[in-house]
Amino acid sequence: MSDVKGAGRLRQIARLREAGIAAVIIVLIVVFGVLNPRFLNPDNLGSIVLSVGILMILAIGQMLVIITRNIDLSVGSVLGLSAMVMGMVGRDFPQLPIALLIVVAMVVGGLAGAVNGVLVALFKIPAIIATLGTLAIFRGLTFLVSNNVQVDPEDISVEMKNLAARGLLGVPWLVIFALIVVALAWWFTKRTMTGKRLYAIGSNPDAARMRGLNVTGLTFGVFVVMGALAGLGGAMYVARFATVNPADAGLGFELAVISAVVIGGTNIFGGSGTVLGTVLGTILVGILANGLTVVGVSGFWQRFASGAIILLAIVADSFVRKRIETRQSRETVVRSP
Amino acid sequence: MSRMVMQDVSDSVVSRPAPWFSRAVPYLPSIVILIAAMIYGTVSSPYFLNFTALLVNTGRYVEIGLLALALTVVIVNGDIDLSVASNLAVSAATMGLMVEGGVAVEIAALAALAVGVGLGAINAIFIVGLGLPSLVVTLATLALYRGLAQIMLGDNAVTAYPDEFVGADQVSVLGEAVRVPMPLVMFLGFAVLFSFLLTRTNFGLSCYLTGSNQKAALFSGIKTDRTRATAFLLAGLMAGAAAVMLTSRLGSTLSNVGLGLELLAITVVVLGGTDIFGGRGTILGTVIALFAVMAVRESLVISNVNGQVQDAVVGVILIVAIVVPIAVTRWKSRAATRRLR
Repeated sequence: MSDVKGAGRLRQIARLREAGIAAVIIVLIVVFGVLNPRFLNPDNLGSIVLSVGILMILAIGQMLVIITRNIDLSVGSVLGLSAMVMGMVGRDFPQLPIALLIVVAMVVGGLAGAVNGVLVALFKIPAIIATLGTLAIFRGLTFLVSNNVQVDPEDISVEMKNLAARGLLGVPWLVIFALIVVALAWWFTKRTMTGKRLYAIGSNPDAARMRGLNVTGLTFGVFVVMGALAGLGGAMYVARFATVNPADAGLGFELAVISAVVIGGTNIFGGSGTVLGTVLGTILVGILANGLTVVGVSGFWQRFASGAIILLAIVADSFVRKRIETRQSRETVVRSP
Repeated sequence: MSRMVMQDVSDSVVSRPAPWFSRAVPYLPSIVILIAAMIYGTVSSPYFLNFTALLVNTGRYVEIGLLALALTVVIVNGDIDLSVASNLAVSAATMGLMVEGGVAVEIAALAALAVGVGLGAINAIFIVGLGLPSLVVTLATLALYRGLAQIMLGDNAVTAYPDEFVGADQVSVLGEAVRVPMPLVMFLGFAVLFSFLLTRTNFGLSCYLTGSNQKAALFSGIKTDRTRATAFLLAGLMAGAAAVMLTSRLGSTLSNVGLGLELLAITVVVLGGTDIFGGRGTILGTVIALFAVMAVRESLVISNVNGQVQDAVVGVILIVAIVVPIAVTRWKSRAATRRLR
């Protein structure tokens, strides 16, 4: 009984939080727009939409990882590696269709994710340590495969670049891909048994195991999906920036992605998180990053801001969680006789 | 969890003191890597095996070593601190700005130490005070402190350090005959201190007990909160000390100073046989592992391997250093169950 009530309360809190983020987004748009009208310029808004699109593809994957009480710090390096491999394949085999190139990027990302998955799911290395190691490894691999030579804009096909410029009804393909990922994730977390199991693993891994859930397999799978999505993000990165630099592509992306996810209300201790929240969190991070630059606040504040935001979000989460737990235990005590 | 129980049982079965070779087992990975890297370096360049040059180069790894000493204590406690390198940057930036403002370099160095301890205290407040996991908190402060250093310095480099402060790594303790760099001696001094702290004091004992089983330690009257908080303060102090050392070596301060050193420092600790889940680890292991990582880096440098690839090799070593003991434990426990049957 108290369990059902607790879940209802959690849902209420999630909704409250989502409304709060939406309000903050609106306030930010107004403030940035007033401080510098150029912020509301269609060109600038378009650039926000494109960067939010790439961020969102990765944030959805990271949300799934964090729901299982893990984390993937290597996403930026995986993005860089798959963008590099795809850029090189496209350069050396210009006759290949871009659909195949995107598949190449996703396979490279998926393989990188599988490495993380083996380390975390099979060898039970704490995800944060394992992916801290692979963050460096995948970045180094990017250098090795590219021989420290960047892929130049003229080596990237026009069709590829058009993914970030043209699409259906004026919506660029990049954004459509992001929306498809969001829709699939929504269906997966709300409507499938496997999706629900991820939440079970994250809220109590031991209990999930005793219930007979294949924790190892599911955790491995989540990391592979995360990798493949980082690969897709890499393909979109190539489309948008039309160049891949081994030192640059995706560098530091992990912080933006993780801030987006935790702002969106995904509990960093696993077990809860919604697609809507992640979408809103991503939009907020995207607007904040762009707006701070447009308004003229130095880029140096951005890293500080993402650190502060993550810290704030985890403090808030643990506070809410503790309150729910004490209330639940109080209710149980009252009702037990 | 089950792993820990298994090992405790096997430890208690062995009542005699373990023979020297089984006590040396935790150090084997770093010794193997040390030898392998020395061989690789010698084969790939005739200039590698130069005792004086190697000795002088140790000065460049002392900062990593200082961070690793304190991280050993933090990890033995069952925690982690990913923010040490960013803390180093803020401490260095503080020192730089003070020197630029005309403050004497000695006072600025003390301020760097104080800032280091202060940032360590912030970590401790969130982790011990609010009961949040150290992994996530220090991931956030990794970004927060680095951002702070960037805000403090922007794109500027501080170079206003007096000549007598710059170049401590060029100062030889034993004169010109045998060039023993001063930072190396300081590092070894700190290593002895930390080793004493972990093996000969109540604080050290509390660390090991807290790390093996925090609840059990708490119920047996150990002030686990105080022990863990002290470890984070120590990590902050060493980050400040490393900042002073690094600044003296480089003679300038940029906001990206020490970027990524946390990966190297954690690799050193884990490679040195400290259990990433807490409860076991030695300073001697960390010291040996520091020289192993140094040999790897130096042999890669001399064969002109790109910096990012060097980092990748260190990443591989970090993961192998964690995976191998886990695989060995599993294999052992499987063998043990087979014997029981």
